[in-house]
Amino acid sequence: MMRGFLEYVPGDSFLHRMNPVAKLICALLISIACFCTSNLLLLLAILVVDFALAASCAMTRQAMGLAKAVALFSIVLALIALCTTPSGMELIALPWGYIGTGSLMAALLIIVRLVACAVPLFLVMYITKLNDLANSMVKILHDPYKYAFTFTSAVHFIPVFMNDMSGIMESQTARGVEFDGSFAKKVRLMVPLCVPLLVSSVRKTNSAAIAAEVRGFNMRTRESGFKEYPFSARDVVALLICAGILVLAIVSNVI
Amino acid sequence: MIEFKDVSASYDGELAVLKDVSFTINDGEFVAFVGTNGAGKSTTMRLMNGLLKPTAGEVLIDGVSTCDLKTSELAGKVGFLFQNPDRQICCNTVRDELMFGFKAQGREDADARARVDALIERFGFDADAEPFLLNRGARQLLALASIIALETPIVVLDEPTTGLDFRECSKVMELIAGLNVRGKTVIMVCHDMEVTADYAKRVIAMTQGKMVGDGPTFEVFRDRGILERAHLLPPQIVDISLQLGSFEAAGGSRGELIASSSIAYADTLDQMSSAIYGFISEHSGVGAFPSLGSDEGLGA
Repeated sequence: MMRGFLEYVPGDSFLHRMNPVAKLICALLISIACFCTSNLLLLLAILVVDFALAASCAMTRQAMGLAKAVALFSIVLALIALCTTPSGMELIALPWGYIGTGSLMAALLIIVRLVACAVPLFLVMYITKLNDLANSMVKILHDPYKYAFTFTSAVHFIPVFMNDMSGIMESQTARGVEFDGSFAKKVRLMVPLCVPLLVSSVRKTNSAAIAAEVRGFNMRTRESGFKEYPFSARDVVALLICAGILVLAIVSNVI
Repeated sequence: MIEFKDVSASYDGELAVLKDVSFTINDGEFVAFVGTNGAGKSTTMRLMNGLLKPTAGEVLIDGVSTCDLKTSELAGKVGFLFQNPDRQICCNTVRDELMFGFKAQGREDADARARVDALIERFGFDADAEPFLLNRGARQLLALASIIALETPIVVLDEPTTGLDFRECSKVMELIAGLNVRGKTVIMVCHDMEVTADYAKRVIAMTQGKMVGDGPTFEVFRDRGILERAHLLPPQIVDISLQLGSFEAAGGSRGELIASSSIAYADTLDQMSSAIYGFISEHSGVGAFPSLGSDEGLGA
């Protein structure tokens, strides 16, 4: 069955069975590790770990898609770094400096770092029910439910809005709008479509807020949820491994 | 003319939501697609204007395959009204919204402006009103008007009356019927069997991505087998006329069905009253009662 962007994919893998908060902390530790090291080999190793984790919960396709999207985005940053970080042996001379071997390395580091950092964070969203994520954040991290709900709602609405935008584009195509062509043309045609998207999102958000309100949203406390989220041995092991990766990243940068 | 030749379609390339569907819709027909949610009706509509391309078979619009044309090219032939008008409306004023289709197709000329002015007057719109501030019914009418403005020979409507009250529904359906009278081919998806019985001349019933019935509206509605397979209930008048045995005497319209059912109902009442009076007179020793339907009885 085809699933949307950031939509929960059910499963019974090791990662699926982990505590939601432990998953979130592990993903954050890996992401922080990516920014604590400039060692390309270590970053590549983290990337391999990311894909191994994705494969363990049958999410390779989604992870590849995400990596591709993040890589495309990071190319822009990499190009800026390439042109503005003159270091290493000069390869191409520029009016304001040069592109050197160091510049190439810096650009490559940006791409690998961003991909390696993004994959685990997105993976958490795919393998954790948003309700469980919100409830466990409230129970374990003592996060006020209002904020946990805001966070999960924001994530939940991403695929909803993407679906809305695709519906809006379809209805304009049916009226004769041609979205094929250059990037600039596409952007020019899409700008007016932000109006119906904005209107529909405001209406949806308002309806969701009212629906939550009439069901006693403000009466909810930390004790309201009946489900408990205890840490198990697997969570502790996973946290230790991720902490180890972070320490390794820091040490590799110091040495 | 629209031709579906053994058409199958899917959204993800794996699960077929339409399986081997074949039918032909001639120019000037008014066809309603009925069936439960997930039957494949909306998918069939999307195939008609090229928003979805068939995975097998062929969809031909006036002999040209939709695979050979872009949706934007088909927009000049097939007008498409979506279920949710808010996905269609994107301009700041009613006038701009009505002009949008012409602009998209590069036909923003004096004729287009005249058509838009005529529509604004006909529908009673405020030309400078903000479309998103209109009520649901008015937004649906605006979306319909923007499709009518383009004067496409084929008009496809995906549940045009959803969310409308009776008055708005009647207004929208009368406008759609008017399009058909003016020679347009009208194809609509409808969950309301009463509305379908009132306006459509042909019905195609679908279930689980397959066609289970195709024919004149009341022929499909009288067929219990089709209705059962499509999980539908017939319009009340069809049910009544079938129970009264008056269906055969009626022609192919709702009015004729109502007339023949009324006569059959009066006959049944007459027979019942005669039987009751006969029973009473037999057991009470009173003389025979006149029949309600006889001149003697009415005259008394």
